[in-house]
Amino acid sequence: MYGKGLKPLSIATVAMVALSLSLVFFYAPLDGDQGFIQKIFYLHVPLAIVALVGFVLGGVFAIAHLRTDNRKWDAYSYVSIHISVIFGVAVLITGAIWAKASWGHWWVWDEPTLVSFLIVFLLYATYYPFRYAIEDRDRQARYASVFAVTAGAFVPLNFMAVRMAQSLVHPRTFATAEGGMPGEMMLTFLCSLAAMALLWTTLVKFELTAKSASGQVKRLRRALDAPVAGGGSRIAPEVS
Amino acid sequence: MQLLFAAPALPLDEAGKYVAGAYVVFVVLLVVYVAIMAAKVQRIERELREVAAIAERNKETEAAPGREAEEAAPRV
Repeated sequence: MYGKGLKPLSIATVAMVALSLSLVFFYAPLDGDQGFIQKIFYLHVPLAIVALVGFVLGGVFAIAHLRTDNRKWDAYSYVSIHISVIFGVAVLITGAIWAKASWGHWWVWDEPTLVSFLIVFLLYATYYPFRYAIEDRDRQARYASVFAVTAGAFVPLNFMAVRMAQSLVHPRTFATAEGGMPGEMMLTFLCSLAAMALLWTTLVKFELTAKSASGQVKRLRRALDAPVAGGGSRIAPEVS
Repeated sequence: MQLLFAAPALPLDEAGKYVAGAYVVFVVLLVVYVAIMAAKVQRIERELREVAAIAERNKETEAAPGREAEEAAPRV
């Protein structure tokens, strides 16, 4: 069920990633201020946007789980957060590399954008031990959903607070009084954003398909009265 | 902090290392994730093979109940 449409989605993702990389290195003009190093922008910013939207989506799926008590939504919420955390790791590392090249420092502690993203990332990093600490599967799913809703609501609030704060070094690229990016840069950025969004969707679907297959095998084993190998994961929700 | 603003753009040969580093980190993360998922899929395949073997054994047992009883009976 979860694997339906995975193949065309994967092909679309590969095509979009290839197109966006071609635009980044062969079409987008060099930034007058930062030069070639600005190419990291087309990777770092879409990754950050998709990760943050993924965290919010995790909260939305968690609401659906709490309303319907359908374990499918818990699995969606868990996988959304899981993939967004991986994207978050990429955001932090690519951001640190860009910071070192532009500002001469790997990390600037008094910059609200950097620190706020780290807080959001660390908040979601606690999702796993929180989930793992609860033995009962129903309670685990319910408490994890409450966590996902609360943390998901914190993400846009955090984003708005950062936009209102005085930035020290981190640039405000969109919706500023000085105007936006040139057309070529904006087109490249939008393609990169679409590529990252497609990649996130593909990975979520891939992970859900694997979990579903694993759940089906466990059901088969139970139906055949055979012992379940490894006893199943205590953290990840079982999808059938 | 003013020094940070005044930092000039890096020359291409130096900036290239950082840009390559950022993109390589992304690719490495993706490859590690795919490798973990590949291991997971392999485990599912192995479990499925085991389940299929159990199902086949059960089917054989159901098809020949007399033989099983014969085997279980004590020999004199």
